[in-house]
Amino acid sequence: MTLSHLATEDVFVVERNDADFRGGQGMTKGLGIVFRKFRKALFGKPNSDRADTEGQFNVQYPEERLAIPEAYRNMPILLYDDATGHELCTSCFQCERICPPQVIHITQAKDPATGKPVPAAAKFVLEYDTCMSCGYCAEVCPFDAIKMDHDFELSTANHPELDVDYNRLLRPVSYYETIAPTMWSEVKEQAMKKLQNNIKRRPGDIGRDHGQKIKGGAPVAAAATPAAGAAPAAGAAKPRGPVAAIGKNMSEDKTAKLLAIRAANAAKRGGGAADAAPVAQAAPVVETVADAPAAASAAPTGPVAAIGQNMSEDKRAKLEAIRAAKRAQRGE
Amino acid sequence: MADALTQLGFASWLSVLIASIIKVTLILVGGSVGMMFLTWYERRSISYMQDRRGPNRVGPQGLLQPISEAIKTMTKEDATPRDADKIVHFLAPVVMLGATVLSFAVIPWGRMFPVDLNAAVLFVIATGGLHSIGMMMAGWGSNNKFALLGGMRGVAQLISYEIPQVMAIIPVVLMTGSMSLQKIVEAQNDFAGLGWYVFSPVGLLGFALFFTASLAEGERTPFDIPEADSEIIAGYMTEYSGMKFAVFYLSNYMSNLAVCFITATLYLGGGNGPGVDALGGIAGGLLSLIYFLLKSFALFFVMVLIRATVPRLRVDQLMSFAWKFLLPLVLVNILSASFWVALLRWDQQWPKLTEWFGAPSTADATNWGRLAIAIVLTLLINAGAVALIMRLTNRNVQKHLYTTDEELALGLS
Repeated sequence: MTLSHLATEDVFVVERNDADFRGGQGMTKGLGIVFRKFRKALFGKPNSDRADTEGQFNVQYPEERLAIPEAYRNMPILLYDDATGHELCTSCFQCERICPPQVIHITQAKDPATGKPVPAAAKFVLEYDTCMSCGYCAEVCPFDAIKMDHDFELSTANHPELDVDYNRLLRPVSYYETIAPTMWSEVKEQAMKKLQNNIKRRPGDIGRDHGQKIKGGAPVAAAATPAAGAAPAAGAAKPRGPVAAIGKNMSEDKTAKLLAIRAANAAKRGGGAADAAPVAQAAPVVETVADAPAAASAAPTGPVAAIGQNMSEDKRAKLEAIRAAKRAQRGE
Repeated sequence: MADALTQLGFASWLSVLIASIIKVTLILVGGSVGMMFLTWYERRSISYMQDRRGPNRVGPQGLLQPISEAIKTMTKEDATPRDADKIVHFLAPVVMLGATVLSFAVIPWGRMFPVDLNAAVLFVIATGGLHSIGMMMAGWGSNNKFALLGGMRGVAQLISYEIPQVMAIIPVVLMTGSMSLQKIVEAQNDFAGLGWYVFSPVGLLGFALFFTASLAEGERTPFDIPEADSEIIAGYMTEYSGMKFAVFYLSNYMSNLAVCFITATLYLGGGNGPGVDALGGIAGGLLSLIYFLLKSFALFFVMVLIRATVPRLRVDQLMSFAWKFLLPLVLVNILSASFWVALLRWDQQWPKLTEWFGAPSTADATNWGRLAIAIVLTLLINAGAVALIMRLTNRNVQKHLYTTDEELALGLS
């Protein structure tokens, strides 16, 4: 080894005393340290809070979990308002534009009567398999409609399932409020204000017609998401990702079957009236999933805020009449 | 066992055959199950040394993990490189495993000896030497530069470390007067089963030297140069996958197990321990087996501890450690073993001393005196040699840490 090319001050010479007899002291010391580690890890108390530098650091994952920080981001989700069922997304395409791997695909909703664009998304597809969780979409969204979820247990054997459509992306605002309370409270006011403005420009059911049915018209997401939303309203147990994911992790036919059974049960209880409309059919489903606290809301005026479900039939008819009148006014 | 079968009415050739088959099955099953336990044991203990928990999900405390691993490796694809020497590539793991299993023929399980060869020590060393052939076959047959490098390194290392390993056994053979493992175990049965060789200065040094050399023979860290992952991927095992890789793995761990068993037999009294003789019969045999396994697994724990502590040596460090450190100490140990034997059995060597001190092997005062003299003398020789050689090595390392500019100018180094 030559040191001549180095400046003198760069050379660190470790002085080892020649006369000093080191009879394997370093080795024994090292073995002692490792053995102490072994002893502390095996017999010492668990150290999962990292209070000590020795001991068991492991968190036994499926049984124990670390608390996820509020700003943790995994995959994007879309929010809808608990009270009205209106989705916050206005299909402004900001997220689609900024998305680095270009996995967001939005189709804007159009007024079926006029053909003019409406501030709502008709289709919203997000490819979870290619999403890189950068969170740019949530950063850029002017309406706070797209947010990053905390649920990271998304592994599946079914690859096409990872192209997530609007129905499975939607979560109630109350769900996001439980996972990121301070972050939501900062934007809540302006987001809801913007939503109210947008609702005014959405004719009919546009803007709230997702999240309750997938293939075959089975009200899937409606069954799952209000369950997550209803629980905090009742002050009951915290809703978690897995609860909201009932429809997501199951195969589609299985979900459909389950919902058929639920609908049948509901029909039995509620009599023939429950079959009157698919909207009315959805309400008992919510009731079964949301369990006791939400069950009190079986009455049409209850606090369960699924899309259009809190409206009584006559109220709905009245609304339709008003809208028809407006359309007539516009000369269609 | 063969005699018992003959008494039952079998023909003598048949009873020998049946007895051999039973023995072979027991050895193979015992060896493989021991190896499986060993992998679990190593992974669990090294995990705790690294503040982890290790495999603890499959079965109680993860004990069934080796079985799931075995199923995994068996169902994996067995790929052979296109340009490999197919026959040699196939035979290499077989040779490795065969060499290991052969050494299990003479290894005692407690006080149960499968075969009592009168040159068992020699047999163990000889079968251990076969490993280098398997290693070279794997390295050559794979037609891969990393495999070949690993094989060459492995052979160089094995040949170097066989010398101190064999010579570290010579003191034991000298003290016992026999190469039979059974006789060696019997010779360590004094003092109520605690007369192990490791408690004598000669045996202690021999134990340390033999164990260190055996670490190198078994390619354990810090001597895992043939498999140095950071340099040559997996060494001679690079091109092996699936079941062939599993056979290499099996052979490695079985040879580690064999090393632990042999060290326990040679220096730690095998199955001897307090209470074995008093119990006698089958209970005594079981107790001796328990003692033996405890000793062996304690030794393996030391192996794991060393693996968790010491980083891998360089090739030149490895070689100089074998030739400049282990070999001189081993030679000195043979010298002090000769003194030990001469002092304790001097009537056979020098009848005149018997006139002065009385006959050996009698538990009278003069015999204790002789033992004390032997201990002090060998302790002085061994401790002096260790101190001297450690200091010399130290100074040698010191000298070669830097090259001075004068040396460069003179063209030295």
